[in-house]
Amino acid sequence: MSSKAGALIAAALVLALALLPFVPGAIDHYYFSLLFFVFIYAIMAQGWNLVAGYAGQISLGQHAFFALGAYTTAILWTGNYLWGSLYETHPRIYYFDPVTMVLSGLVAAVAAALIGLPLLSKLRGDYFALGTLGFGEIVRVLLINGGDFTGGAFGLVAPSGTFDTLLPHYWTGLGLTVALAIGIHLLIKSRYGLALIAVRDDEMAASSNGVNVLRTKVLAFAGGAFIAGICGSLYTYYIFHVGPDSVLNLDWMLLPLMMTVVGGTGTVLGPIIGAFVMYVIFDFARIWVPDYHPIIAGLAIILAMLFLPNGLSRLKLGILKPYSR
Amino acid sequence: MTEIPSLQVLLQLTVNGILGGAMYGVAAVGLSLIFGTMRLIFLAQGAMIILAAYFVRALFQGLGIDPFLSLPIVITVGAGVGWLIYQGLFRRAAAMEDRNVSLLIAVGLMFLVQNLMTVIWGGNTAGVVTSYTASGIGAFGIRMSFTRSIGFLIAIAGTALVMLFLKKTLVGKAVRAASEDMTSAALLGISPHRVNAIAFSIGLALAGAAGVAVATTFPFNPFAGFVFSLKALVALAIGGIGNVAGALAGGIILGLIEAYVQYFISGGWTNAFGYGVFLLVLMLKPEGLFSRPYKKA
Amino acid sequence: MANRLLEVSNLSVAYGDVRALWGVSIHVDQGTIVAIVGANGAGKSTLLRAISGIVRAQEGEIKLSDNSLVGRPPEDIARLGIAHVPEGRGLFRHMTVLENLELGAFQPKARPRLREGIDKAYALFPRLKERAHQKAGSLSGGEQQMLAIARAVMSDPALLILDEPSLGLSPLVVRQMFTLIQTLHSQGVTILLVEQNIHQALKVADYGFVLKTGEVAMQGTGRDLLANPEIQKAYMGVLE
Repeated sequence: MSSKAGALIAAALVLALALLPFVPGAIDHYYFSLLFFVFIYAIMAQGWNLVAGYAGQISLGQHAFFALGAYTTAILWTGNYLWGSLYETHPRIYYFDPVTMVLSGLVAAVAAALIGLPLLSKLRGDYFALGTLGFGEIVRVLLINGGDFTGGAFGLVAPSGTFDTLLPHYWTGLGLTVALAIGIHLLIKSRYGLALIAVRDDEMAASSNGVNVLRTKVLAFAGGAFIAGICGSLYTYYIFHVGPDSVLNLDWMLLPLMMTVVGGTGTVLGPIIGAFVMYVIFDFARIWVPDYHPIIAGLAIILAMLFLPNGLSRLKLGILKPYSR
Repeated sequence: MTEIPSLQVLLQLTVNGILGGAMYGVAAVGLSLIFGTMRLIFLAQGAMIILAAYFVRALFQGLGIDPFLSLPIVITVGAGVGWLIYQGLFRRAAAMEDRNVSLLIAVGLMFLVQNLMTVIWGGNTAGVVTSYTASGIGAFGIRMSFTRSIGFLIAIAGTALVMLFLKKTLVGKAVRAASEDMTSAALLGISPHRVNAIAFSIGLALAGAAGVAVATTFPFNPFAGFVFSLKALVALAIGGIGNVAGALAGGIILGLIEAYVQYFISGGWTNAFGYGVFLLVLMLKPEGLFSRPYKKA
Repeated sequence: MANRLLEVSNLSVAYGDVRALWGVSIHVDQGTIVAIVGANGAGKSTLLRAISGIVRAQEGEIKLSDNSLVGRPPEDIARLGIAHVPEGRGLFRHMTVLENLELGAFQPKARPRLREGIDKAYALFPRLKERAHQKAGSLSGGEQQMLAIARAVMSDPALLILDEPSLGLSPLVVRQMFTLIQTLHSQGVTILLVEQNIHQALKVADYGFVLKTGEVAMQGTGRDLLANPEIQKAYMGVLE
């Protein structure tokens, strides 16, 4: 398939998905909310993909950035911080407020830059992964001990009376998914993208070719966090209740990671394909074998890793490489 | 917080910290071995420990076998399961350049085991209560729970045996060699798969030992394992990855930090301090507190 | 014809899209020293790594006596009798000198001779006995190289492969190294040697191959190659 035909098919698919809500009855259909969740996971997966697939740094802290974004949105919203009394008079002004969403992403990105600078300058590979895992647990303690500001162990609840349709969530999710795919595609072609891939493949060589390795890695890490933060914001507009157990659940790190790997790490479409396939598998398992569905999730990961280690988007058998470090 | 605690309180906290921390330590020793040869963070270790704890409970409730006397059974089964897990799940992935594959298989296994336990035993908190669960040993006003003391001895003995194996036997030396440089080890005829399988067997035998200690001392539920894995990772980082005695010491240090923070600051902050020390050690001394790095030739 | 120990025919190796070897054929006869020389990046180390199974051959055949080595993992090849001392020596730096030697006899067939092998190694390298309980990483460069070679001969290999044994050593130690290689040779060890120190290598070698950008450019007895004006000009002009 030529890339031109591929782009046409992708454009047609996006258009069909965007127009889907106009099909009578579609909005109320169960699959409509399923698609919204696929978008949420695709966005999260793309964020991890940027850090791990393109910058080569395994982050196990994406759930922390998701939570930071979600909490930022919830705090701004419940505290009426941003638009003051407008929240009362125009209850919809906050809703999908781009300023709040971007701020949510920024808070996550700034946190990532602050933690990423020391971590990435000192730690490599598994040590960096462990460090991000530790960071996530520290965020958990901070959120639980944040008093009224974060709502403690219970979290914060936004006024849910404002919800009436999933339509804006759906479109925002679809738009973000598509925008991210295009953005990352363009990014990889850019100068920065070349630097990113150079750093992933060989740090020493990249550095000797004038690439600022640390800055490149920190930018990617903050970029991945920004994506996770925006996604957390979008999710908050859907769930209304953010708490340590819901938005800081490890599933928000593990599932996108798994979806990316199933779809193909380091490819633009991999996270989207992976999110779709895996979410559908999980969801059907939840419907058909309700008691056993988490077992299916575990089995799916193991089977995918055993038989599809390179991901669906690059269907070929794993190349066995001899031991070397 | 304002009053100065008595010596007795300090000693009691220290004893509690050491006894509790040894559990993290023995889990960390298993992680250390597996990480050593496979460069894999075996995130499912905690889930396997809880699985062993349920197994201990089943032996106790079903067959009336005393939890501590079930130790040889649990360790043997653990070693067998470790061998099978390596051969069935990790063997292929171990030979791949991309180590994320192994990491994700471990994640999948964790999901699977956690939820299998929920399906079989339900999600509620369980425990093993024997005639001696509440008994303790006291001296100088300090009290040591009997079961925790035995758990501590199991941790020490398990770590000591693993160290003897690694230091004194040729196969153990091969495991250490492979941890340092797998390619060089293979050039000497040491099979990577065999070494990995041995590391997995010992790692899960230790998970079995830890399971006995957990079953007799803590209430547990199917999802308690992940926190255990995390704490074992912290212990591992403090002690130095690939350093067996250091892993046990790291666990004990973490136990002490938790005991002191819980008493002097607040129970809600114990984890933050534990992970804070973890991050500090990772950044300031990534090779761990107990390892001396060699200068590159 | 002498007894062929190792026969590499038409071997091609690639790393990803980059080809490192193009149809290379070499052979090593029983009891000889064979040197492979050439400039940096000519593919010398790749050839050795393909023989011992660390990298996989795309094409061609590698035979040790009657056993085909292609597709076998390194640990099997080691058990068939090839001891490869890799570039950088491959010592276990955190383990003691004695432990490194013991691991040299890890293979089942070598284990019964473990004690005897260590005594032999100590006789050959008294320095190693003095430092038996020191960490290998604390030894000097020359001592490390000696330990690596001593460890490799612990298994009594049919073929000893040495990758750049003189790398990073002082001229005096380099001379000791080549003396040692000749000593091992006189004890009947067959040796395949890769060297950038072309003059020294060809002097001790019975036969030599010159690799150039992944292909065999020239071959002949060590003496013939040494005398070859082309080689003198290309590789030894500055040195001599």
